[in-house]
Amino acid sequence: MRRLLAMGALLAGWSLAQANPALLKQHCAECHNAEKAKGKFKLTDLGLVPTAANFQRWLDSADLLAAGEMPPEEKAQLTAAERKQLVAYFKSGLAKYEATAKLSLRNSPRRMNNREFANSVAAALLIEDVGTHQPVANLIGDSLHHGFDTHSATLGMSKFHLEQYVEAVRRIVDATVLTGKHPERHRIEVPSTAIIAAHTSQNITRPERRGKRNGFDFLDPKQLGYFETFKTAPETGRYRITIRATGLDRGVYNAQDTGLFPADPIRLNVEMGDRIQTFVLPDNKVREIQLDEWLAAGTRLRLRYPTDGLTLRGNGNFKFQNAIAGEHLKATNRKLWDEVVANIKTRPSGRVLRPESWHHWVNYWQGARPRILGAIVEGPFYESWPPQRQLALLGKNPSAANAETILRPIAERAWRRPVRDGELKPIVALVQSKAPQLGDVEALKEGIIAVLVSPAFLLLNTNDLTPAERFASKFATFLHSTLPDADLRAAVTSGRLDTLTGIRAELGRRLVNGEAEPFLRAFPYAWLELNDINFMAPDPDRYRFYHRKRLSEDMIDEALHFFRHAIEHNRPLPEFLSANYSFINADLAKLYGVPGVPADSTFRKHVFTDGRRGGLLGMGAFLTTTADSLATSPIHRAIYVMENLLGIHPTPPPPDVQIEEPDVRQAKTIKEILNAHQAEAACASCHRNIDPYGFAFENFDPTGAWRDVYEITPPNSDKTVRLPIDAAATFRNGAAYRDITEYRAALLTPVNRDRFVRSFITKALTYANGTEPAKSHYAEIEKIVTHSARHNHQILDTLAALIHSPLFREEQHPVSK
Amino acid sequence: MTANRRTFLKGLGGALALPMLESQLSAADANTLNASGPPLRFLVVGNPFGAHPANFFPKNFGKGFTISPTLKPLAWLRDRMTILSHTDHNMVSGHGREISFLSGVLPTDAQAFPEKNLSLDQLIARHVGSAVRYDSVGAALEGGIRMSWTANGVEKRPFTDPQRLFDHLFLNLTPQDKAARRDLLERNGTILDTVQDQFKGILNTASANDRVRLDQFQTSVRELETTLANRNDWLDKDKPTFDVSDQLDQANATIENRYDAIFDMLGYAFEADLTRVASVEFPAALKYTEIDGVTRSYHGCTHNGKREDVTSELVAIETFQLARLSRCLRKLDSIREPGGQGSLLDHTIVLYGSGMGYGGTHSNRDLPILVAGGGFKHLGHVDARSNTGAHLPLCNLFVTLMQRFGIERDTFNTSTGTFELPHA
Repeated sequence: MRRLLAMGALLAGWSLAQANPALLKQHCAECHNAEKAKGKFKLTDLGLVPTAANFQRWLDSADLLAAGEMPPEEKAQLTAAERKQLVAYFKSGLAKYEATAKLSLRNSPRRMNNREFANSVAAALLIEDVGTHQPVANLIGDSLHHGFDTHSATLGMSKFHLEQYVEAVRRIVDATVLTGKHPERHRIEVPSTAIIAAHTSQNITRPERRGKRNGFDFLDPKQLGYFETFKTAPETGRYRITIRATGLDRGVYNAQDTGLFPADPIRLNVEMGDRIQTFVLPDNKVREIQLDEWLAAGTRLRLRYPTDGLTLRGNGNFKFQNAIAGEHLKATNRKLWDEVVANIKTRPSGRVLRPESWHHWVNYWQGARPRILGAIVEGPFYESWPPQRQLALLGKNPSAANAETILRPIAERAWRRPVRDGELKPIVALVQSKAPQLGDVEALKEGIIAVLVSPAFLLLNTNDLTPAERFASKFATFLHSTLPDADLRAAVTSGRLDTLTGIRAELGRRLVNGEAEPFLRAFPYAWLELNDINFMAPDPDRYRFYHRKRLSEDMIDEALHFFRHAIEHNRPLPEFLSANYSFINADLAKLYGVPGVPADSTFRKHVFTDGRRGGLLGMGAFLTTTADSLATSPIHRAIYVMENLLGIHPTPPPPDVQIEEPDVRQAKTIKEILNAHQAEAACASCHRNIDPYGFAFENFDPTGAWRDVYEITPPNSDKTVRLPIDAAATFRNGAAYRDITEYRAALLTPVNRDRFVRSFITKALTYANGTEPAKSHYAEIEKIVTHSARHNHQILDTLAALIHSPLFREEQHPVSK
Repeated sequence: MTANRRTFLKGLGGALALPMLESQLSAADANTLNASGPPLRFLVVGNPFGAHPANFFPKNFGKGFTISPTLKPLAWLRDRMTILSHTDHNMVSGHGREISFLSGVLPTDAQAFPEKNLSLDQLIARHVGSAVRYDSVGAALEGGIRMSWTANGVEKRPFTDPQRLFDHLFLNLTPQDKAARRDLLERNGTILDTVQDQFKGILNTASANDRVRLDQFQTSVRELETTLANRNDWLDKDKPTFDVSDQLDQANATIENRYDAIFDMLGYAFEADLTRVASVEFPAALKYTEIDGVTRSYHGCTHNGKREDVTSELVAIETFQLARLSRCLRKLDSIREPGGQGSLLDHTIVLYGSGMGYGGTHSNRDLPILVAGGGFKHLGHVDARSNTGAHLPLCNLFVTLMQRFGIERDTFNTSTGTFELPHA
């Protein structure tokens, strides 16, 4: 029977092949023969039908023919009908293969990444977060795979990992379940003179700066303030922290000098370990900030002035700012300025400092800043003893004899499924064997730790879960990076999520009502490789503004705002490429050369009228991530566009290729340098395809600012050479552009639109599955693309179809109940 | 230091019996130890202000270079070290960036790197792991210079009190402390046993495809159980005794004696295989005025306005640091590698340097970098620039050093390749 089937497939393939090889031979064999094998491809690689080995060739052929990129423009072209016929030939071959090959839908299990681990432990223990004592700081950092922190092969497991998990979980449980005596409550008044600015420099013999009677002022934003009498929380429990604070001198100095926008309110961060709360301080009026927080013993309480300003002078260190105070006095209070200058003394070293020097003006600083007038810390409080969170986990009067009953609900949350009969036995035995020695509560803690370092908790996507449980878990991991909540599990059990409509409704509800923050942040980070933005940061001397105002953070925020907007308004996916708008603040407006934007740090939607920016292609995040520190690289930008936005994966250069380092002394444009390699046959066949995707961005410098000419200063010369920029190129299919505006138009063809949508789907599946969908699942991906198209490519509808797809579910569709 | 808790630290004199190797004490560890011959160690010494370039860098390149004024104390090692000119982390000028010395990454940029601003010493420490009692030991007087960072971007503080360093390395735990630690080890061990049991259930349902990942998990559990057992053994074993002089006595507690004591303790810890990774830091806040001819602060001396008298004070401070290192290396070189060829120094990679080039100009380019020991065929004074004049990323050297350790990686933070440094 199987034999017959195989023969059938062969025959079908043969009859199709009969129809087309003539066309293929006629148009492709000249270059793709055994001898030339241009682009490392020969027609015979295709065989008669797709196989696991040549599937990619079939896929590429279909894509290049559909895009009109093959045959290349200078060769004899196919008629439209011929092209259609060939594309159909390839597509039907691909679909047949997928239908018959019995491809597995299951993906490998993986361990949780550190984000998911922290969220999931907190969810299992019913607490707000893992705690303020930084209990997970010991975890080994997760490596990224092309930006993804969910990549299963990259998330390795070793004894180091496991040991850190045991330690971290123990620390978290210790701060949740309290044994021992009810700690005593204290009330600590912290006068401003007991607030101290912690050292940030190497010079630690100099005494730390202490608040004055009238208040503790934040000067250097790098400095953290702490309370001398409450450096860390002595016991675990709830603390009430009252801080009286005010904002001073907003707008006294110019934004150009300080980098602080007068329109921005003055803020204060209260940092309790990793838990950070930000408060806006009113000008010259006292605000009484009230916090009521569960703090773990050992939590460091720190205060900070969050701002990206105050680094524009000198090398960026705060002390140089003080010169601004001198300049301000000179302009507004000449008498005082004269007085200070008259009193300048020769330093012990014999140096005489100029009046402009920062040293004289430290005591006259009037930069916008928070001032703390005093604080009261009271605690620990407990609503009950044992505390509520402990009762929620263990109940009243917990005993080791009831270990099974107590641990079952915890395990059911943590393991994402009901506990099976007898399964808790080893853990119950552990608790009961420890109880005589440790006491019942301590022994139960050991049991909780065992639940949370068990493979059923740490490993995702194993066969340990039923398909329905796995789906609930994947859905929760995808959106929330945590365990499925009870609602979600109930929805899956009831069959509500068996249908596309059901998923669409659930997705809409969860994405729009703010429950999906992890997805809204982690997915664009991964997809757009935002973590890499400062891997090759722009040169700190040449691009000072970028570093002095921490523009990389603004750029990342721009990308995240855009993504969030697309989700919240269910925008069509192609708008990521076609939009004439983005979200910028005053710093980005300055970088992008946009006039008329309000002078503050708030991100607002801005419509660009020059046709150069808007959407992903004009974002500093993309343009900077892909540039070197002093120069731009059209190739890096091209590869980014191809791989992350269009899903085209050019073959990497052969390993024996010598890539010559561009010699900046030649004062040549990057295009002249690259033309040299295009002239080389070995490189040309691929780079003729790649380079046109990147040249259009040459008008954007390494920080993404617009430029009309290159300014090159050869080493050992102070003369700047100005060279014109040529941002024109021709794609392999003959479409030519002169600059970025025409390039953007060229990317809006239906072919490229589909490529983008397909690429987005592939990236989202990679995030969900921990691995790229196999190429052989082409047809399943096409189904999502088709569904997306029916809904005008709207992002939520596309994501719903993706989640409903067998590629996400890892099984064929469940039968609707 | 209180009189009733005096520590006797008598320099590593000849009177000392060869210490018993810690790890030879346990049969379980003998395998890890002897699997690849005698162990390699790593000693890094750093300062926050770099070095006065004209006095630090030799005037000529090559193996036959002429020793420079600052390097005089190491003249005896001239043929057995490599000094790199024109290598750095490509940082803008100014204080505060020297903390990237061993990583090439500032804490503020650390998010872009999977291991954050993990420093070289901590990377090697992780590799050595629990083969020895302490994966790494850091020491300094005063505050240290913030050069050790873990893979999570957490700063690792050095011991700043030699007495505490002594207690840490050589004092045995009190019975109560031992009991508490043993209890924790035992608890964690029991949890792992329980996890093993539960794991069997998952393994039963696994497809062949899943097994690779699951095996990884199972191996982790098994290896960790062994490690915990080993650690329990460590608890039982008394630390080697280090019965030595009163360098730390009030009367003798000069910074010279205290640094020598630190180096002695670390050298002994290497010899006894208590640890294989050690770092020593020379902070800004130290009272260098104890040194002959030095009247100013370390930082003050770097801003010498090119005055000769002040510059000579700075060179005296820098020479002092190298003299302390030299004394330690001489000792390491006088000790035969237990169970191996050559001296302890031949099996210890020594790195001296700074994340700052020269405090006087606030430059963070052209870092003073020196490598010795480690069984390398040293190159003398090297111009590390490429053909195009680009400086060598210092992380390239770090990749070379970690590869010598058998760490199979070819990249580290901002590296672009390796530094060619052959070894025997």
